[in-house]
Order: sequence, then structure tokens, then C-alpha cells
Amino acid sequence: MIAALRTRPLPERVSVVVLGALITAWFVAAILNHEVFFQPVLFGFGTGSIIAALALGLVVAYRASGVINFGHGAIATYVTYIYVSLTDTGHYPVPPIPNPFAPIEGIFHVEIIDFPTMIGLGGPMNTAAAMVIALLTAALLGLIAHFAIFRPLRYAPVLAKVVASVGIMLFLQAAVVLRFGARAKSADPIFPNEPVAFLGVRVGQDRFWLLGTVVVGTAVLWLLFRFTRFGIATRASAENERFSTLLGFNADFQAGISWVMASVLAGLVGILVAPITGVTPNLFTVLLISSLGAALLGRMSSFVVAAAAGLMLGVLDQELFRVEFEYDWIPNIGIRRALPFVVIALAMVIRGETLPSRGALTAERLPEAYAPVITRWRQCGYALFVTAALLVTIFAPFQYRAGMQNSMIGVLLALSFVVVTGYVGQISLMQMALAGVSAFAVGSFGTAAGLPMLVALPLAVLAGVVFGVVAALPSLRTRGASLAIITLASGLAIEEIFFQRSGWFGLDKTNKSSDPPSIFGVDFGPSNDFFLGDDKIPSGGFGLFVLVFTVASCAAVMRLRRSRLGEQMLAVRANERAAAAAGVNVAAVKLSAFGIAAFFAGLGGALTAYKLGIYGQDSFGIFVSLSVLAFAYLGGISTVGGAIVAGTLFAEGIGIVATNEWFIDVGPYTAYVAGFFLIGTAVYNNEGIDGFQRKQFHQLVNWWRSRRGLGPLDPAAVKERSA
Amino acid sequence: MSDAVLHTDGLTVQFGGLTAVNDVTLACGRGQLTGLIGPNGAGKTTFIDAVTGFLPNNASGRVVLEGQDVFGRVPHRLAHDGLSRTWQTLELFDDITVRSNLDVASQRLTVAGAVRDFFRPSSDHGRVDEVLELLDMHDIADRLPRELSQGQRKMVGVGRALVSSSTKILLLDEPAAGLDKAETQGFGEGLRRLVDEGYSMLLIDHDMGLVLTVCDYIHMLVFGELITSGTPDEIRNDPQVISAYLGHSGRAT
Repeated sequence: MIAALRTRPLPERVSVVVLGALITAWFVAAILNHEVFFQPVLFGFGTGSIIAALALGLVVAYRASGVINFGHGAIATYVTYIYVSLTDTGHYPVPPIPNPFAPIEGIFHVEIIDFPTMIGLGGPMNTAAAMVIALLTAALLGLIAHFAIFRPLRYAPVLAKVVASVGIMLFLQAAVVLRFGARAKSADPIFPNEPVAFLGVRVGQDRFWLLGTVVVGTAVLWLLFRFTRFGIATRASAENERFSTLLGFNADFQAGISWVMASVLAGLVGILVAPITGVTPNLFTVLLISSLGAALLGRMSSFVVAAAAGLMLGVLDQELFRVEFEYDWIPNIGIRRALPFVVIALAMVIRGETLPSRGALTAERLPEAYAPVITRWRQCGYALFVTAALLVTIFAPFQYRAGMQNSMIGVLLALSFVVVTGYVGQISLMQMALAGVSAFAVGSFGTAAGLPMLVALPLAVLAGVVFGVVAALPSLRTRGASLAIITLASGLAIEEIFFQRSGWFGLDKTNKSSDPPSIFGVDFGPSNDFFLGDDKIPSGGFGLFVLVFTVASCAAVMRLRRSRLGEQMLAVRANERAAAAAGVNVAAVKLSAFGIAAFFAGLGGALTAYKLGIYGQDSFGIFVSLSVLAFAYLGGISTVGGAIVAGTLFAEGIGIVATNEWFIDVGPYTAYVAGFFLIGTAVYNNEGIDGFQRKQFHQLVNWWRSRRGLGPLDPAAVKERSA
Repeated sequence: MSDAVLHTDGLTVQFGGLTAVNDVTLACGRGQLTGLIGPNGAGKTTFIDAVTGFLPNNASGRVVLEGQDVFGRVPHRLAHDGLSRTWQTLELFDDITVRSNLDVASQRLTVAGAVRDFFRPSSDHGRVDEVLELLDMHDIADRLPRELSQGQRKMVGVGRALVSSSTKILLLDEPAAGLDKAETQGFGEGLRRLVDEGYSMLLIDHDMGLVLTVCDYIHMLVFGELITSGTPDEIRNDPQVISAYLGHSGRAT
């Protein structure tokens, strides 16, 4: 062991030694003072078991198809709600399906058909029957996840897989909220829950049952993958799909079975846990971040390590809670909440970038970072577009003005993904946390410290950039799905450590407020008068303020794409090793991308702060980051046009407002529909809406040219030219 | 060799218990085409990876470029110092045009330079046009690599390695793999022409025919060890080379 350690690089050695010292210290303290130290252990096993069980499911899915399933927690939630509904009322929810008559109903204000939302199955069910039906649903979800989503994505870039699994998460969580509401639910106990005394501590015995279930589950999975033909074949396929296929194993079948297993496991966790903790629509997704840390420590392949790490996380969480509570001198900075981040960062340092990659047959490409030749015609088109946006922003009725403002801020947020994910290929899930840093900072610098807007706004955006670059540092060693996980955890850490307490980047009494932006004494806030347009709120003045930033940002990103730095970014995205060999400082390019992306996210955040006036941390949570990524990918992750489409579709954006006004109220369905289309985009059209319509347009042009007897447009002439 | 552009001194690469390159000391002469041959698995590519800084945790020894020990520097720094390489699997930048592929490699980008270029696009493309001319690639300059044939893609790879004005030596990793006989011959002639114009190169290949015809001096690796060095004629008649390529029965004949 020591000899093996000696060959490892220094950071690994240091972190292993530190970890060992911490565990020893805790152990000694626990022996000396077992009542105080032991209680958190027993309590921690409750949460720890859930984390461990979710981590097991993540490992199963990863081993089967190389997917880190961000939707795993949502599967657990969906199945649990079905179980609770069946035991409570005997109602089985019908998944929300689009009503084909909706446009007609919306226009003529009639109801043609009434879709049922629930099917009654004859009164409340007993536990066993409800569990069977709920778990069958889980199995079905697993099959759908495999055959409709991840099987077609087998050779797709990691980004598409991450996005698809985020789509599953959004979709199922939205389905839960649509059918059952956002309130917490609970269920009748399954395990006996009378408290028992153990080493002087009284604790509900259901925790031991849960722990036992996790231990048995881990052992079964370990045996299954270690010794059965199925398990060995799955491992072989993970090593090298080509050879295992030549040997006659059906990798596809194995992956399907594994998805069913993972999904049923998720459902089972939810059902067993629901009586103990209750269930809310995002409970398991929040816990999933810890599970990702645990699974990562097990390199997404070891059941035993993942389960043990999950349990330890639960225990550690309770220990830190007790320690923060007991000792006043420990700063109350929410370190406990940031625990998943610490674990994940540690896992990254110890394990480096050694997530085992699966030996896939081929790899598909990322969406094209299209950059058109800027002709005179194009310039005219841009000018017309901006003019139209200007007119809507100032003169349209107030609800459209509000939609425009939301959309333009959405464009800025999407641009941050275009730079970091579209151009450099780095999946960052912390962009909204950075937006939050700037949003809170603009309130602090502008309103609290009284700095003029022209100073406060740049300072606030700069704060976002600094956070972005610092948070990106640990990510330099990782890429792909691991990077997605570490940035998700960074976002969570920023949120928990900085947003919840008062101070420069946090809340003043649960909400922060910001004065309207003002330039040389003229206020441009949403509720300030503006000399053009009508008097309703929001005013066109604020829209104009946002428009200036948005247009400048779009132009800047288009310029970036064609600049030398942009070329280097795309070189890094295509191939990091080759870029380094060609003299590109890969780390510097990545950091600059994170910095530039944080700039746009920060700008979006600061403008959000001005728009809202009073705001909390809800607007900048990790789930908002995920849905912004979803919209950015849907629009087209690697082009400015895609960001504009994304802004249009953005929550309460102009596209949604127009749909509401002209057709039907899509409000409650936005997340659901976005999740659905996100999955569809990831699987069947990774160029996003922008790329799709561009290709259609080129086809149309070529069709027109061929009718006029002209040859098809030379692809090289349409492609970018550096000259 | 006194006038060496690049020489390694005791270069060793270990992966756990496996020694992939063992104590290799060799030199590449200025203005020469040096060959590095060896059967599959001899450690040729590992050698290049170690020289160009891609195996920082596994390699040890000295890499001397123009009299300076550059071992331990990171890959992009080595590229700036003058070590250029190609890849067996090409590894082109698929999302940008051929011209941009060369542009990326043509000069060093500083923070100030990047900012200046953002606001005022520079028309200085370094040696890009010169290299496009040299390799006869002007008509494909605005195409994406995926639209090209395999042979053209190889030339883009070589061009990308050539284009930096600081290039002192070119390390070519199996550039002829996948080319047919005629293409290989043409490629070899192209290389020879570049060397005659003053470039220094290290050519790695297991195609003995190509290496023996174009190289000035040849080193041979077997199982990570440098077993022999010499001119093409000496190598051709070296019993160790024959044995390594044909097995022990080869030596008996």
C-alpha cells in the first residue's frame, strides 16, 4: 500500500494522508466519547443509506452504458409518488400528454376533449400491491430510458448524454409537480419503527432495516457483477464492446437489463425511504449530488466503495452538524452543506481524471460551431432584427415587453454556455451560481455600499468572473461527465456557503434588494417612467438598458468565435492533446473560457437583480443552472443564434408570452415540455433548433438554386473563412 | 553527434512495472532526416510522447534541444521551444478549417495578443500561407478536415507541425500508416524535399522500405531498448535488425 502510494503524484499522497489522519482522529474521539460521537453515526446511517442506495443505481447504469444519470433521483421521485398515490387513494397518474386540440381549444376557448389525469384502481391499495405496480413502472421507465434515449446515444459525445439525463430529470420532476403538486407527501411505515437503544443511544430501528437493505443490496450487486455470466459479460462490454460482441454477448440486452435494474433500485429506495423522511419533488435529486460524489469515489465501478462512501457521507453530515452546533468557535459557513463538493473535489484529486472510459466503437461529434461569412446582406439582416427587437422592447404591450426582457437576459445566460460548453466543450453546471454571485454583489455594491451603477455593475460582474475562474481551477484536471459533476457541486457549494448568509454575496434577511440602474441621475429601472411607450410596468427604459448589453454581448461572442482565441478554443474542444502539441496553453484557454462565460452569466445575473428589485437565492440555484443549460442546448449550444433561440424559449420569455397570448397557457407545462424536447434534441438532433433550421434553410436554398439550373451552394463557401 | 538539434540522454518511461522505453540515448542531426524504427510495441510512440512532454509522471532522463535541457516542460511550452510533432491518428481540429488548423499552431497567443486580436483582427498569419504553398494545399485551405481524403488529412497534420516559426525539429509519428505504396513514395519524396530545404526531422515508422530510402541516419528500438544505430546501409545489413524483424530464424539464415 505504502509502496503503491509512493509512485503516485504529490497531491494524491497528501490527500490520502490527510484523509487517513482525519479518520483516525474521528475514530479516537469516538472511542473516548462514544455517546456524543455515536449518535450522529446512527442518525447519519439514515441519510447515508439513501445516498448509498442511489449511488448503487448510478454505478449500475454507468457500468451498463457509460452514462452518469442525473435523472436517477427523479426516477426515484416519480416512482415514489406513484407508490404513495396508490396506497393513499388507489389512483395511478396518467403521464401528462400533449392535447392535440390545444391550439384549437386555445383560439376558440372551448374544450373538445378532457384528458384524465388519474386512473382509479379501486380505492387505497395495500403496500405489496402498490409496490409491485410502482416498481413495474420503474422497470418500464428503465426500458424507455435505455431504448428510446441512451441506446441511440451510445456513440454520442458525453455532452449529449449529460443533457439527455438532465432532460429526464426535468421531465420527471415536472411530471410529478403537474400530477401531485409541489407539496411533501408521506407514506405508512414499511419497516418497524419503534426506537431501540444501541450503545446508549435511542434511535428508530427503521434506520437499521434500511442500512441492512443497503448492505444486502450491495452484496447482491457485487456477487451478480463478479460471478454471474451476465455480470462478467457486462464488465467485458464495458471494457471493449467490439470484442464482447464478437464473442457473442449482446451488449445491448445487458445494458437494457442494467437500466431496468438501476431504475427499479431507484424506485425501491424511494418507496422504502418515503415513510421515514417523506418525499418532495426534488428530495432525491438534491441527495443525488452526494450520491454522485460517493459513486465517483468508487470510480463509477465499485459497488462496495460507492456504498461505503455514501454511508460515510451521511455520517459525516451528521457529525459536522453536531460539531457546528456544539463548538461556537467553528465558523458557521455552511461547510456541512458544501460536503458533497469537498468529497467530489477530493475524489477528483485522488482519482484524477481516471473515470474509466468505455471502449465504444466510434464517437460522434459535438454540434458544429457555425460561423457564417458576414456579408452585406447579413449585416442588413442583423440590423433589421435588432430594430425589430428594439421596437418590441419599447413599444409593445407590457406583457410582451416583460417577455422581451426575460428573453434578453436568457440570451445572456445562454451565451455563457455557448462559450464554455459550445466553444470549449466543457460542461459547466454552475453558471447560475455565478450569475447569483453577481446578482447579490450588485445589490451589495450598488444599494448597500451606495456605489454608482457605472462602478457597481462592473464590480459585480467582476466578482462573478473571479468566482468562475477560481471554481474552474479544480476542473482543469477533469473533463466530460466528471467535470459536469464537479461544477454541479461547485455551484451547490457557492449557493450554500455564500448565498444563505448575509454579506457581500449573500442575503440581507432572506431577500436582497437592488436599486434600479441609473446613469448620470436617470433611472432605467423596470418601474421608472420612460419617455417612450406606455406607462405600464415594466418600462421600455429597462428593456432598452438590457437590449444594449444583449446586442453587444451577441456581437462580442460572434467576434470571439472568429478571433484567435476562438480558434484555440475550438482546437481545445476538438482535441486537447493535439492542441497542446500545437503550442496551445490548454489550461489557459479553458480558464479564459470559464472567465468569459462567467462574465456573461454575471451580467445576466446582475440584470436579473435589477429586473426583480427584490430577489432570493431561488433564482440562482443549481436547478436553474440545469434548466438554463437545457434551454441553451435546445436552442443550439454552439452558436449565438442558438443562444437567441434559447432566450426566446426561456421561462416567461417572449416565445412563451406569445404562445400564452395567442394559443394556450403553457406556463405550468414549460419545464415538462422543455424536458421532453431536450431529450429529443439530445438524441435525434444535437445541433439544436438553430442548427436544424439552418440546415433546412440551406436545403431550401439549394433546392431553389437547382430549380434555376444553378449548382448547389459550395459547402466551403458557406463555411467560415478566416481570411 | 556534436551538431545535434535534439538528443535524449537516458530517457526511460515506466508504466507501473512495465518499462516501455529503457535508457534510450540518441541524437537527431541538424538538417537531417533521422529515422526511428522498430517492430510494433517497440516503444516508438511512447518515446515521442515522452520527448514532447505528454508523460510527465512516467518519464525520466534528459531531453536536450539545442543544448538546453527541456525535460519536464509542459507540451505547449515545448512546442514554443521548437519541438513539433504529428500524430499517428492525425488528431486534427475537426471543427475549424485547414487554414485555421495551421493558424492555431502558427504563433503563440498571449493574453494581450488575444485581447488585441479580439478588437483589431490581425492580418498577420505568420507562415500559414508559406506552408500552404509548400505543401500545395491552397485549394483546400477553406475546407473542414472531415471533408478531405486521408492523404490530404495527413498533409494537414504535417503542415500544422511545420507552421510554427519556432519549429526546430519535426517528430513524425508513423505518417505513412494507411497510405498505399505510391502515396508512401510520394510522401517520402515530400519529406526529403523539406529536409533538403533545411528542416530537421525524426521519422518514426515500422515501414522499413520508407525509412531506409529517405533517412540519413537510423536508430532502432526493440522492446524499449535502443539496439542499434547507423546509416541506412549499415542498418540494412545489421543482423540484429534482421533478427528483430524476422525473429530468431531470421538470424539463422
